[in-house]
Amino acid sequence: MNGSFKNILVGGIVLVAIVAFVFWQTKDPTVDFQASMPGEDNRQAGNLVQEIINIGEHFNFFEHSAPEMNGTWPRFRGENFDNIVGEKQNLKDSWTADEPEVLWSVELGEGHAGPAIYKGMVYLLDYDEEKREDALRCFSFADGKEIWRRSYEIHVKRNHGMSRTVPAVTEEHVVTIGPRCQVMCVDRLTGDLTWGLDMLSEYDTEIPQWYTAQCPLIDGDKVILAPGGRAIMIAVDIHSGKVLWEAPNEMQWKMSHSSIMPMTLNGRKMYVYSAAGGVCGVAADGPDEGQILWQSNAWNHSVVAPSPVVFDDGRIFLTAGYGAGSMMIKVVPDGNKFNVEVLTEYSPKDGLACEQQTPVIWEGHMFGILPKDGGANRNQLVCVHPDDVQKVVWTSGKTTRFGLGPYLIADGKMYILSDDGTLTMIKPDTKQYIQLAQKKIMDGHDAWAPLAIADGRLLMRDSKTMVCLDIGK
Amino acid sequence: MNDKKTSKPTNRREFIQKGMRATLGLSLAGLAGVAAFKASADDYVWQIDPFKCVSCGRCADYCVVTPSAVKCVHAYDLCGYCDLCGGYLKPDANALSTAAENQLCPTAAIKRKFVEDPYFEYEIIETLCIGCAKCVEGCSAFGNGSLHLQVRHDLCVNCNECSIARVCPADAFLRVPASSPYLIKGDFTTGNSTSNPT
Repeated sequence: MNGSFKNILVGGIVLVAIVAFVFWQTKDPTVDFQASMPGEDNRQAGNLVQEIINIGEHFNFFEHSAPEMNGTWPRFRGENFDNIVGEKQNLKDSWTADEPEVLWSVELGEGHAGPAIYKGMVYLLDYDEEKREDALRCFSFADGKEIWRRSYEIHVKRNHGMSRTVPAVTEEHVVTIGPRCQVMCVDRLTGDLTWGLDMLSEYDTEIPQWYTAQCPLIDGDKVILAPGGRAIMIAVDIHSGKVLWEAPNEMQWKMSHSSIMPMTLNGRKMYVYSAAGGVCGVAADGPDEGQILWQSNAWNHSVVAPSPVVFDDGRIFLTAGYGAGSMMIKVVPDGNKFNVEVLTEYSPKDGLACEQQTPVIWEGHMFGILPKDGGANRNQLVCVHPDDVQKVVWTSGKTTRFGLGPYLIADGKMYILSDDGTLTMIKPDTKQYIQLAQKKIMDGHDAWAPLAIADGRLLMRDSKTMVCLDIGK
Repeated sequence: MNDKKTSKPTNRREFIQKGMRATLGLSLAGLAGVAAFKASADDYVWQIDPFKCVSCGRCADYCVVTPSAVKCVHAYDLCGYCDLCGGYLKPDANALSTAAENQLCPTAAIKRKFVEDPYFEYEIIETLCIGCAKCVEGCSAFGNGSLHLQVRHDLCVNCNECSIARVCPADAFLRVPASSPYLIKGDFTTGNSTSNPT
């Protein structure tokens, strides 16, 4: 190899190296990339016109009356907040081909609002799409005839249903929360308006996805609400509508679909709320009533529908859908304050989790229906022991799956409603799944509203129709 | 005298000649028959039964074509047009927005467009889709399941033995007539994978 050839080779290599280096330095491999930025969907800012809402402005009386009955199902999850009917019932253990008989049915606006029952009257916060009104409708439990209706104009667009809350009822009052967070209190018998509160304008509440599903809580003479926005929780005098206290929302949490659950933890009565952003406990009595006793953002999910469930030993079970799974926490006293200890957290396929309904505790075991992302046991009713909520004791099996519908226990029977209006009656058992009867009652869809049972009758609904079933012996 | 006509015995050469002619004739007839059958009969192509698909993600990894010939398609009739779309947004997304950190799709192959409050339309950009099925899983878990995977026949090379079908854990790959090559949700019945998709 002569010298000139070597020089040419070396020169060529150097030239190639220089070209490669310049290319490497100047070429931007990300030049074709496009950044995904917020706002590319051209989302609009909602209604620019401020809507004037006069809560409870309209009233209709329909010349019907209701014979007084004894039973009550006065609020979401019942008298004891456990979704178990405490009153003595004598319900059928099986159904013939004609049973359970449909005693009456009424057409409702599209939604998932559930009924409350009080001494022969049924209360339901409906949405009248034609009149564009939130309407508290009072029906006779005996025959389903409407007695009166208290309503107010408000624009609610269809968004996977419109109505979705259960009223709270006492001997004197009925309190409702509308889909867009308006609170209304009326006289239970006459429907006379007592007061109204717009959480949207008063507390800067952000309406949750698909509208709120928070059900109001009445505790003595106080109505307890969780607006989010400016206050995480407030108490309102049920007689006057005067705000008694406000727990500030320093953590900027938002209103969820979950409802406030009263609990007694370490000897202190508290209101526990699972917000979108975290979970907190607010003092329910004593000199520090209305103060936040503890809070934690360890439980931070954007969509939370089930309410917190407390075990006898004070542990609190939190669950949510959309991939959130579940968490078990314990509130531990530390001097004058409380600390939150996270005991366990897992994804929906690794233990009991619920997307929409709140689990039920029965004879020391917890029952719930797994969500669609619950792995192999998805959509099955499962039973777990509180000692290990990730260890499934039994499931309803691969051939018996349910949906997002409600379940409730009464007289040693558990009633489970599937999305398509099929009602299943089982014997709740801590060892195995025991199905007693099953029947398709309605032809609609999205039968997600909470059930209500009183006086041997069951109220259930799909997206547009509510029926009353005779389930008594 | 014997009137019976005596046939001329066939010699070996003639026998072989006749045999060869007959064999050739039969072969040509058979070939023509097969050609005619192939010309008239429907061919088959690979497709995914969306009701069997478990969104395992293998379609993205095992296809011999890069990126995969399997793409997400959208059955608009089934879509809820949700703001909180389980196929578009990551679980527990910070915000319901188009920001990259909120999107579930690793290649931003889903375009979200505001329709009217509170509805949004979702469109698949097929050139970006890699068939990973993350959106399909999210849509099936939290929505109506309108997002689903299909083999796109303008991209598929129709291997005799599909390399994705070999590893599909749900046996969701099947041969369908080339004249009806897609199994679009809403156009055919759940679980009846042999039915004709219109």
